This record gives sequence, structure tokens and C-alpha cells, in this order.
Amino acid sequence: MLSFLLAAAALAPANAPTAHGADTFTLKAAHLRLYGNKVVDGGVVKVEQGKVTYAGDAKGAGELGPDVIVHEGWASAGLVAARTWSGLGGEGLEPKRAFTAEARAADVVKLGHADFARARAEGITTMVVALSPANVASGITTVVKTDGATTLARDGHLQLGLSSQALRTNRFPTSYTAAIELIEAELAKPTGVWERVRGGKLPVYLDALSRDEIQRAVALASEHRLTGALLRAPLAGELAGDIKKAGLAVVVGPFGPGEEARVLASVAALGRERVPVAFGLESPASPEALLRVSAAMCMRAGLDPVQAWEGLTTTAAAVAGVGARVGKLAAGCDADIVLWNGDPLQLASKVEGVFIGGVQHESKGGAGHGGAH
Amino acid sequence: MKMLHTTTRAAAIALSACLLASAAAADGKLAIKAGRVLPGPGMPELEKATIVIENGRIAAIGKDVKVPWDAVVIDAPSLVAIPGYVEAHSARGMDRPNENLDVAPFLSVRDSIDPVGFYFEDSLRWGVTTINIQQGNNCVVAGQGVIVRPIGLTVDEMIVRTPSGVKLSASPKMGFSAATQAQALRRAFGDLRRALEQLVAEKKEGSDRARREALYQGRDLEGENAKGKAMEGAAWKVTGLELVPRGEIDEKLVPLLALVEGKLPAFFYCGRPMDVHTALDIAKENGFLAKTTLVIAPAAYKAAGAIAAAKVAVILDGAAVYVETDPLTGEEREVFVPGELKQAGVRFALASANPTTESLWFQAAQCVGRGMPRAEAVAAVTTIPAEILGLGKQLGTLEVGKFGTVVLCSGDPLSVTSWVERVVVEGRDVYDRSKDVRVKHLIGGQAPANTQAMGASLLGDPRKVVCCEGEDPEEHAKHEAEERAKKDKGEAEDDK
Amino acid sequence: MAAATLVAAGESKDQTSWTVSAERVYTATGKVIEEGRVTVEDGKIRSVSKGGGGDLTCHAITPGLIDLSVRIERDLSSIEQSREITPEKRVADALDWFDEAWKREARSGVTSVMINPLERQVVGGLSVVVKTAGESAQQRTVKADSALYGAIGSAPSQSNHAAFGRPDDFYSRRPTTRMGVEWEWRKAFFDAALAREDKNLAGPGTLELQKALAGDLPLCIQAWTTQDIRTAVFLKEELAREGLGKLRLVVDAAAEAWKEPELLVRSATAAILPPFSAIGRSGDGSFFALDTAKVLAERGVTIALSGHGARAASERLCYQPGHAMRGGLAFDAALAAVTINPARIAGIDKRVGSLEAGKDADLVLWSGPPFEATSAVIGVLVDGRLILDPRTQNK
Repeated sequence: MLSFLLAAAALAPANAPTAHGADTFTLKAAHLRLYGNKVVDGGVVKVEQGKVTYAGDAKGAGELGPDVIVHEGWASAGLVAARTWSGLGGEGLEPKRAFTAEARAADVVKLGHADFARARAEGITTMVVALSPANVASGITTVVKTDGATTLARDGHLQLGLSSQALRTNRFPTSYTAAIELIEAELAKPTGVWERVRGGKLPVYLDALSRDEIQRAVALASEHRLTGALLRAPLAGELAGDIKKAGLAVVVGPFGPGEEARVLASVAALGRERVPVAFGLESPASPEALLRVSAAMCMRAGLDPVQAWEGLTTTAAAVAGVGARVGKLAAGCDADIVLWNGDPLQLASKVEGVFIGGVQHESKGGAGHGGAH
Repeated sequence: MKMLHTTTRAAAIALSACLLASAAAADGKLAIKAGRVLPGPGMPELEKATIVIENGRIAAIGKDVKVPWDAVVIDAPSLVAIPGYVEAHSARGMDRPNENLDVAPFLSVRDSIDPVGFYFEDSLRWGVTTINIQQGNNCVVAGQGVIVRPIGLTVDEMIVRTPSGVKLSASPKMGFSAATQAQALRRAFGDLRRALEQLVAEKKEGSDRARREALYQGRDLEGENAKGKAMEGAAWKVTGLELVPRGEIDEKLVPLLALVEGKLPAFFYCGRPMDVHTALDIAKENGFLAKTTLVIAPAAYKAAGAIAAAKVAVILDGAAVYVETDPLTGEEREVFVPGELKQAGVRFALASANPTTESLWFQAAQCVGRGMPRAEAVAAVTTIPAEILGLGKQLGTLEVGKFGTVVLCSGDPLSVTSWVERVVVEGRDVYDRSKDVRVKHLIGGQAPANTQAMGASLLGDPRKVVCCEGEDPEEHAKHEAEERAKKDKGEAEDDK
Repeated sequence: MAAATLVAAGESKDQTSWTVSAERVYTATGKVIEEGRVTVEDGKIRSVSKGGGGDLTCHAITPGLIDLSVRIERDLSSIEQSREITPEKRVADALDWFDEAWKREARSGVTSVMINPLERQVVGGLSVVVKTAGESAQQRTVKADSALYGAIGSAPSQSNHAAFGRPDDFYSRRPTTRMGVEWEWRKAFFDAALAREDKNLAGPGTLELQKALAGDLPLCIQAWTTQDIRTAVFLKEELAREGLGKLRLVVDAAAEAWKEPELLVRSATAAILPPFSAIGRSGDGSFFALDTAKVLAERGVTIALSGHGARAASERLCYQPGHAMRGGLAFDAALAAVTINPARIAGIDKRVGSLEAGKDADLVLWSGPPFEATSAVIGVLVDGRLILDPRTQNK
């Protein structure tokens, strides 16, 4: 019985919209990356009205339903970029004022921007859009999907720039001391966004470059019990113990092929100390393909492949604060699914199809599946 | 460039003038009676010994030497006598260290040395009595150097030997890349070869263009210059050069030809390890490796193996302790370069880092501090540079027959508290610290001109004047008024 | 002759108890012990006595050198330039604990250093004294807020300009000249004094200025030339005369103090001298006479020498006493000028500055008589930890 249904389904054109609504179907993939290490051969994902109702092996799938998409390659959850400048159209930097904590990336980002279409083509379905780190408090991030329509979280994190890039000699503050003082003054008498930060309700992104800056950021987070992640922080691995104690994650990257060995080794060290690591971009300055390249470079330097995959999906989603909805294929999650022609952890693999909320979207570079929208 | 203070420059000239006056003693006899004599590295020390200098050379040295009746005696029972230090390579003391021309072997430092500049008196002050002045490192082929003694008001008085050698650089000059520099070096010698070949070809054709050009330029075509000589190049030769009278060879090329024929030493600067290979190749290709001394920056120590294999000596031009930063880890490492050179078997001389507090005495002292035996450290600033300059028989130690160039120190010459008290250069008594005005300025500074009087007149209020120690401002004003009254009274009395 | 190597991770790394012996132990208390031995236990000096043998030997031992003007942290991000008077800012908040300069200083024998704000500010803020090596920032901090630091001379006015055109940043401000610098100093102190009566006049930094006026916080002013040293001393004397307070004054980089030493004598001002210069010419147009240390020491001025964090090995603090001795300073005074004197000036002499039982085990081991150019620093201990291992030297 089952085989007849499957055969019938196989005859149907793979890209035809179904009768029940575009966001309800069953996907059968030769290989299914569920989460962490778990790969299911001949796996099945059932999607109903944009949500995953089942993801696992074929045996436990039960009735597959009328619309079955069969994919010969790999399928996985859509990738999550824990930081990006996509969609801001160059408006992410306020050069005159270093302290604009209430500014929001959500007010600036254009969801339909071409940056997001390019991200989709690389299998990225969720992105944390952040403002420039060249200000002490540039504003609040926003978490969006790359479907051109969905905002997952209007307020993601308060981003604080604690690197030397946030300090200029011709604008207050010019010193680390004054920058930290400003932040601590707000935390002492918190209003607006700071109240949520103080309570731990809103996580922070702490941008830091040199090791002493990372040290300062971690001290700030520890002292005021802030939650969130460090951004960039090359060589953070040397301070992995302190970062772990402070309960912070680290958003690293993007890394290219020429990245310093020390920096990549540092990411591997973070992984060994069980500090949550997520990958980020600086798009559109860097190509979106770098997200997976970053993960691959870190794996070559010794990062556990499980942690590398999590850094692209579940950990990144957790850092983004949307771990319940995206980042993994599991019942209850959004049906953000990417079809690949190979294991997504292999750099040679490319995207063949992208579903966001169960609806297939244009993903240039994919083969065949035209996709309705 | 700060303006030289008029009084110190005048002092410099005065000092030099004193030296000139004592030149008369050169032909006479000088005897130094020193409390201790350290004749040279590894040689036994002498207590209460006498050095007799006649006609500029040491005639006798020892404990029981008799002082000639007609000798001028320097009696220095508390001082230590050492041979003067030898600076094997220095680009100081000149108007400008380099010309803009890439290849200019015909230039000589003789034309740019400033005898009255502070450099030479500083050298003397700190015990350096022989200096090989060469052009700076920003060149391809810079020109010829001169070995001088740091005394005299004119260059000619200073010259010990000219030319001392040709300066070349394997390190890219400003604006050049390593490839361009190497190519420029090769081309310099290639151009020489082509020019010589052309001369020979012209002679065979019967052309007398070269002769007419030489006459037009006023070059000397008599005697030796009228004769042709076969080329003596060890690596390459131009056959038939004997057809060309030597005087007809363009004087711009003559120094390079002398280099290739092994007649002139070469001082080849290498700033980086890779430059060493370029320098050795060029020297080998053109047959002057045997007369080459490398002038190396500390970074080039990494090529010590290649240097040792080529059996060339080295002048370390820079700090003995080289601080380098690892580009990958950012860590700093300190390398004691003379130690590395010694380990590789490279013969080396040290050079001053500055003419005063880090002069040759300090370089030798630093080596001792880093574990080098004292004799070796002292050799690196005396006998080895003397040998490198071809003056090994004249300088570097206090021995009969060598130059009577003696430095008298107030204590251990390598100690920070010792001062050079007297210097004798080739039998001439040229320096006495008790009469050295400039060293007094260095030690004690110059008192500000008339601050007290100036303060009082400019500001009017006596309270603003720097008070005499412990005095109340009002007391001071009273005191000054009294002094003025006394002075007026005194003047009135004089008028009577 | 191996290059000086820092101790690699291994059995020696965490060891804090040692016995160190030498032909001469210079304690900097006035006592020199021939064939002496220093016993170190858990990072502190347990005893200093006669005796030989032990784990480490050398020719001479001195206390760890102390540099009150080491100039690590020259980054502009360490000073708040939006105002010229920032007495409340702590340079300790901006320290880069990963700077290679710490290791450089440590391996050349400097064990405690004072980090000061840059002289670009009229009053840059609060200095801090730290050890050049150690486990953590807390453990290495010897004294927080060790001095209030500022400058008089041409440096504080350099980046400012008179208002012209369209002033689009805060550098269009006073001071642009030495008189402006002096005005800022006097105003800061006068306002702080007034704020004692009228709390409404208090602002950020008032507290620190008041502490300086009360003499509780040493005031360190960088002044190279004699005119600037004079200004600093006159400032102290004016405030005393007006009954506003009694500053505890230290002049940093007092290169021309030899010109008018009576200024420092009558105002009981200590002096930190900059590195000696080969030709006498020194910073801010000053002339630094070679006998300055001797002249001041003879007059009873407390002097400390400094190295300004020189990268070149021959210019570091360990060579400065040699220059001072060449200028006529006696050995004991030269030793004091890099050990107990700076310790007293910074108020840390209970912990460091001399080899006495109970003090921190900060030791320098020398291959010959200390400060001679023929000697080298072959061993360093900081808080009993071996930073430079004399056993790896081929001597």
C-alpha cells in the first residue's frame, strides 16, 4: 500500500503546489540531518501549515499524505547566521553619536532586500541583523527570516561595542574607561531597554577584538549578570574558562581561507571548553558562503563537527533567542528546510531548494525546483 | 636639525685648534707612564708600565722601560692604558650619508666629511681613535670610504688611508624591491664589462675616441696611466684590456674595475638574511669575495651559516641584542647576535650604536655581560676591526712597531663609571678631559643665562623671582636692594 | 650563549619557594651581605642572611627594580580626551594585560611598575602600580589609585586648537599654550577647594582633587623643562599659601631639575628622572645633564630613575643607574633610585623595594656587579615565581 502511494507521489511533478496549501507536504530525503550528530538515511519530514509535525526515520512517519517531495540528496534545517549586516542598505552606522541604545535594526532593515535572497541561496534561513559595532551602544538587533516577510523577534539583543573600533579620538567617549562607565551608569539606574538587559530578559551582544577587550567584556557581563554572547573576539579561546564561567556564548567569524591559525585554534579551544559557539557574518561586506566556510575552517583546526553544525543551526538559534522555533528539524519547529546535493558540512555541497515556513522560495543556484511563492 | 649652540660649536673649534697645536709633537718622543696597561685582548696585563712612542710608533712598552731624556711625559699612575678602539664602519660625520645616484663608485666620503662636527670629537671622547667612514646604506654602489683619525681641522689631516674600500648594498635602497636591487647590482658590473669590452673593440678598430675623451676631461695620461695592463679579474676578465692605456678608462668605472681586480676592499651592507645571499653571489660572480666584508643589520644573523661558509668577516651594524617579534604569536624574543655569529664560526667586529653612551666600549661590555669571554669582546672592537681594515699590523694592540695610539681611562675601560681621560693618537697628545668643555656641558649642563636678573626685570615683582635658597621673598628684595646700593657706591668710588 | 629565555611551562612555573645565593646580596637597606643567601617561601622573603648553595646562584642579587614611569599603555583609548581634566578616570581600567611589554620589562629585571595616564591630558587620572608578571590582574595589582597624574609642558596643549572655522569636535578648547595648561590646573584645584563648602560645585573628579589637596593622594606631574618644574612647584606653594591644601608633589621626567634644584628641595618634591640621553638633549626641548641624579641626591631630593619602556635592550631601566653613576652618583644611591626610593614615592615600600623578611619575593639576579654594562640580568623572580631562569644561561 505504502509503496503504491509512494510511486503515485513520485509521478507527480515535484514542484507542483498541493491542493491543501503550499505549506503542507511531506519530504523524503536520502539523508536527513536532524540535529547534532544525528543523520537519518531515508528520513521523512512532515510539514503541516508551515510547521514540522514529524521529523525522523521513515518507519515512525506513518501516513505520508498526498504531497510527497522526494529528494535524492540531503535535507537539513535552514542555517542560522548569528550576526549579519544584511538588509541594512548601509545604514547601520551612526558616526556622530557613540551611544544610541534605543536605536533598532528592526526600524532600518528591509526584509525584501536582495541580501536575503543571496543568503537563501546559501541555505541561510534565519539571520540576526545587527548594527555596526563601531559605536559603544549602537542599538538593538532584530531576528528575521530570509523569506522577505517574517520577523522572528523584533528585539534580539542590545549590542555594545567594547573594542577599540567603538572609540574615536574626536567623539565622546575616547576611552575604554568612559565607555564602561556609561554602560554601568545605565545599568545602575536602568530605564527603557536597559531594564530588560539588567533583568536578563534581553540578552546582549558584546563586541570585542583584543584579549584585554574580551576580558573587560566578560568582567562587565559577570558583574552585572548579563546574558548573551561575545562578538568576533578572536583569540577568545585563551580566555575560555572565564567566558564559560560568565555563561556567555561567542559569535565568531566570518573566516576565510587565509584566516590566522591562532584564531581558528581559539575557536576549537572554545569548543573543548564547551563554550557555545555560533557563526556569524558581516554581510554584505563578506559573501554569505563564508558562513559554512567559517565552520569548515574551524573544523580543520580541530573544532568538533557536531559543535560546528550546532554553530550553524541550534546554537546560533539559541544565541538568537529563537531556538524554540528554528535551527532544528523537530516537531513544533518552523518548517525552515534546505535541500542540498550533499552533506551541508561539506563545502562542495550546494543548495538545491529552500523552504521557509513550509513554503518554497526562490534559491538561485538550486537545480530544478522552480518554486512557487 | 637643532641649531648648534654657538658656545658649544666654538668650543668644538677650540678643542680642534688645541689638537692642531700639539701636532708638532708627532715627530718627537712621547712617554706614557700608566698605572695599568692592557696591551690587547688575551695579552698579559702590565702593572705600572711605560709606553714610549717615537715618530708615531710604539718604540718600547714594559715595566722597566727607560724614558728618553727628550720625551714629553704623560704621568698617569691612576689611569689604565688601552689601545684605541677601531670603528670598522661608520656612516656618520658627513654632510649626508648617501647620494641619490644608484651606482656612484667614483664618489668619495672625503668630499663630505665634516671634521668639526660633533661626531669626531665624541668618538675621541669615548676612546675611538680610528674610524672607517663609509657612505650610508641607501644605495646600490655608493662610493669609496676613507679611514680617518678623529683629529684635525681638515680632512687631509685626518686621513689614515684613502680609499678604504667601496660601499655596496644588497638591501634594497629606498623605492627598490629586492629584485630591482639585485638587478641593479648585476647591471653595475655588467655595464663595467660592456664598457671595457667596447674600449678594447675600439682600440682594435684603431679608434682613439677614448683617448680624446680622456684628454678633454683633463685626465692624466702620463706614466703608469699611459700603459695598458691585462685585466686581473678572478671571476671574469675582458681579454685585450692591455691594449687600453689605464688612463683612458672612464674614471667613473675605475673603482669598480679595481674592485673586480681585487685591488679594493668591498663593504657590502645586508639588512636581512636574504640580502646576504645576494651580496655573496654578487661578490663571487665578480671575483671580490676574498676582499669583501659584510656590514650586517642584526636581523641578518639568521644567514650566519652562509656567511661562515663563504669565509667572510662581518661588521655588526646595530644593537648586539636583537629584539624580534614573532609575526604569528606576537611574542618577543631577544637574540644575542654576536653569540649566534660566534657559534656559527663567523668572524665579526662590533660597531657603535651611538657615538657616546653606546660607543664601542659599551658594545664590548654588553658582549661580556651576555657571556662572551672578555678577550673576545675586546678583540671585536680592536684587533678584528683593525684586521678587517687591513691595519692589523698598525692598530688593535699596544705592541712595539704599532701606531702609538693609546687611550687612558680612569678605571676599567668597560666600566660605566670610567671616563676616557687622555688620548694619544700616533704619538700626538690630542685629548685631555680636564680641558674638555663639551663633556663638562654633557655632565653638568649649562647654567641658564642670567635667569635671576632676567626674571626680576621682566616680571617686575620680586616675589616672582626664583628665590635664593631659604630666603623669604621680602628678605630677598631687601637683600637685592642692599647689593645694588653697594654696587652703586663701589662704582662711585671707582670714578673718583 | 643562549638568548635569555623565559621559564617554559613545567615544574618551575608554579614554584614560589626558592633559596637564592650570591657573592653579594644588595638588600637596599644599606646593608650588603657578602656570600649571602635569600630564602623565599610562598612568594615572600623569609630571610636574608649569610650562606651559600641553594637552588639558584649568581654573582649578585638586588631587589626587583621598580619603574614609576614605565610607559606601557600608550594607546589613546586609555585616556578620556573629551575633557582635559579627568581626575576620576583610572588607567587601570584600560590596561592591556596581554601586552608583550610586561614580559619585556620583567625579563630585564623590572618587577613593579607604575602605569600613568598619557601626558596628553592636563590631568589624566589615577595611576596604578602593578607587578610585571603574575597570575591575574587582581593578584598583580600592588596599589590601585597610587597617584593623581597630569602634565605641565607642551604635551597637554598639543592636540587642541583655537576655535576657527567650523569647530566640529571638542579639540577647539583651552589649553592651547602653557599658560592655558597652568590655568586648567589652578582652576581644577580652586574649584575642588570651593566644592568643600558648596557641594553644588562638585563634579566628576572633585573627590580625587580634594584628596590630593589633603595630601592623601600623591600628585605626580610630568614636567621636563625647568620652567615647567617651576610651574609645578609654584602651584604647590600657591595652594599652600592660600590655605587650600598641601600637595604631596612628585615630578615625573624632571630632566632639567639640575638647573634649579632648590625648587625641589624647599618644596620637598620627589623627582622621577627620565632615561639618560646620549647627548643630553631630552624630551620637550629639555637638556638632561648627566649629573642630575648626583646633584639632586646630594641636596636630599628623593630621586627615582625610569626607563620609559624602551624596546631596545641597551636603553632599559637596568642600564640607567650606570649612566647616573657615570654622572657621579654613588652606587648605593643608584641602587636606591631603582628600588627603595620609587617604592617610597609610590607608597608601596611595605611590600617591595628592598630585600627584607616579609616583603614580596621580587629579586633580580645579576651575572656581575649590578648596573655595569658588563653585567646582565640573568634571573628574575616576581612574587617568588621564576620569570627568568638563570640556569638556562651559559655562564
